[in-house]
Amino acid sequence: MFEQRLIQLPFGDIVHSLSGYTVVLFAFAVMFVVLAIISLPEKPVDIVFGTDGYYTKEIPVDLMKFQRFMAIACGIATIGAITTGDVFNFTLFAAFIGILNVGIVAAVKNKPVLDAAFSYGLVIMMATVPLFAGAAIIGATCGTLSIGELMKAGIHAPIVAKLFLLVGVLGEGMAPFYIGKAEITRSPGAPYILMIHVSSLLLFLRAVEIFLMV
Amino acid sequence: MNCIQKISLYLADTSNLPKIYAAVICLIAAIGICTVPFLTYHGDQLYPKPAEQNMSPLTPYDRGGVPFIEPAHIAAQYPENSPALGYVTAYLTPASWFLANTTCYLGTTIVGHPGGILDEILYYTRGLDTIVEASIFFVAFAIASFLYRRAKQ
Repeated sequence: MFEQRLIQLPFGDIVHSLSGYTVVLFAFAVMFVVLAIISLPEKPVDIVFGTDGYYTKEIPVDLMKFQRFMAIACGIATIGAITTGDVFNFTLFAAFIGILNVGIVAAVKNKPVLDAAFSYGLVIMMATVPLFAGAAIIGATCGTLSIGELMKAGIHAPIVAKLFLLVGVLGEGMAPFYIGKAEITRSPGAPYILMIHVSSLLLFLRAVEIFLMV
Repeated sequence: MNCIQKISLYLADTSNLPKIYAAVICLIAAIGICTVPFLTYHGDQLYPKPAEQNMSPLTPYDRGGVPFIEPAHIAAQYPENSPALGYVTAYLTPASWFLANTTCYLGTTIVGHPGGILDEILYYTRGLDTIVEASIFFVAFAIASFLYRRAKQ
């Protein structure tokens, strides 16, 4: 299932491809990018307790535009991480997804949410160290970074490199923790934050494929 | 309150997550340092570059070759995907050509002037990496400028 390459798109030494497994992830990511493009922001309605009164929250246009841009970019970065056939390129896309997730969270003007975004920003900064360290160890010990070549030659990456990559991906994909805690799902601009969950989930699923193959 | 409840309560505070994550990284780094003697360096690396470069003005981006005449020898992973392999790294713009002939330090200005040395690995064989790196910077600047402008309002 992992080995068979359906489509290949070479960019020099970095060859993007889709296997039977990643084509499903790709379709899922594309679906959510299309949803982010066509959907309008949710307008939360708060009911005044004990009365018939209610009020709706207005979403500023600039906030909506910024979150939508970040969500679409995050979807495209996720597609990049899914399709890439190079370990270093994968770590770059993982770091890219992390910073885009911070952007989606940080756009909301609400102190607890911004505190959570700051805290998540610290985590993704720390996560880049094990991510790139993992890729560097694979490069130094195997002599190549191409996932296809690593698989073909039957070279096994050192377990410590995989451990570094795992911890790095855990840090970059920690956003859903913050989403739940910061209650951002009830904040304005709701549909776009779905991309945070989608990108983290797909990043983990792709990382599993890489760990099994290299 | 049992143990799981205590852990759950501790994790519920988002400001504690960076601390836990930092502790995990320290642990993994300690394991990593302990395993360094067991890692073997693979001598046959891609994109080799001599460890001791001569006093070329292009140092450390000198990969050899003569501009437009003789390509540099580059060990790429998929040479069939890079038809101009070896030619890119030796290309200099007229301004860079002038600087390379008059000073010894052109290689140190790779980020300092546009159209300087076009390094084969940075811009051709692994060009997508450079694009993604630049995109990460652009997104970071976009977030910072959005927050700055909103704080001004």
